[in-house]
Amino acid sequence: MYQVLKESFQEHVSLTDEQWEMCKKKFRPKRMLKRQFLLQEGDVCRELAFVEKGSLYSYSVDSKGNQHVIRFAFEGWWMANLQSFFTRKPTNLNIEVLEDSELLVLDSKNHEKLLEEIPAYERYHRIILQNAYVALQQRVENALGLTAEEKYNRLIEQNPEFMNRVPLNLVASYLGISPETLSRVRGQFSS
Amino acid sequence: MPITKQTIAIIGAGGNMGSAFAKSIAEGNYRLLLFDRNPEQLGSLHEEILLDHPKADVELMNCPHESSWEADIIILAVPHGAEKELADKIREVATQKIMISMANPIDEDFSQLITDPDTSAAEELQQWLPNSKVVKAFNTTLAADFEQPVINGKQVDAFIAGDDEKAIQSVIELVETVGFNPIVAGDLSVSGTLERMQLLLMQLTIKNEYNWLAGWKILHN
Repeated sequence: MYQVLKESFQEHVSLTDEQWEMCKKKFRPKRMLKRQFLLQEGDVCRELAFVEKGSLYSYSVDSKGNQHVIRFAFEGWWMANLQSFFTRKPTNLNIEVLEDSELLVLDSKNHEKLLEEIPAYERYHRIILQNAYVALQQRVENALGLTAEEKYNRLIEQNPEFMNRVPLNLVASYLGISPETLSRVRGQFSS
Repeated sequence: MPITKQTIAIIGAGGNMGSAFAKSIAEGNYRLLLFDRNPEQLGSLHEEILLDHPKADVELMNCPHESSWEADIIILAVPHGAEKELADKIREVATQKIMISMANPIDEDFSQLITDPDTSAAEELQQWLPNSKVVKAFNTTLAADFEQPVINGKQVDAFIAGDDEKAIQSVIELVETVGFNPIVAGDLSVSGTLERMQLLLMQLTIKNEYNWLAGWKILHN
């Protein structure tokens, strides 16, 4: 139930067995089903979720009711609306379960405790935020500077199993292109 | 009240208290998971809830571990004597979750509590589930009160005891959804007092023939 989280810690920092036990008991194990909400627009995001199994995605809904996918989270990834988490203001995003999932959820109080009590956790968290920042910048660059073809190519280069797990309409929304354009691009790609 | 739906597992949903709670909380923005060790005890509870609340998100479960894993809040509506064994079954998926102790450790002839005088059912449960947030609640109300939380024009008080502030806040929301007046009595060590209050209420209910519809109300200015 905690294997993927343990591996994620071990990839970046070293924790003693005792520190790992201290970390582990701060997380709330939560199984969720496809289409359930981890967070809904209007609530304050007070928790960070780590995906042990399954996947989540976050999105906003514009005034016309169109869904805009912000990001996905698969096994070993973290998910939250950090803007709401850090500012403690209501979120404008929804976080929904894409595939039946097993999550480990850390509330802000326990997160603060771990930052304070376990220096290796603070270091781990800094690395995770650093990586998230780099990924976000890359995403902005891609969104602003690439053609639809380039966006699609880069996505499947970076994450080959993405297309097997995410419905096409969500991929299109994530890339900021229409589903028709995505079909065209994929047609070209396969030929 | 959060906009995001929370999931409540009711363990022992077929009993008097469990089913009374399930029917009355179904009005709120919660997903309900109903489990009972004897599935036939659940009878038509699922259908009854959907009849009263057609939009209720309610599911019958067949395992306490699975139910607790999915839940944010776990309600133990079982006798105190069954809680230790249950705690062993759900411990690993109950970490950091709100665990509501409804039980009153009262003996068979309603004469005394079976727990030691210096502890309580809730404190024992907290020992068995050290990483869960145990909250004492819904133990000073009788099952029939859930259907009728206002008796003779007075809203029944429901007392809450616990050590975690956020957990208490969530339980206050549950109490309000059910229709009782929430009163936070103190930390978990107050549970023994609340359990004794129920012993007295039951004794008086029998003696004075309150017909099992009775509750506590603090009068104040």
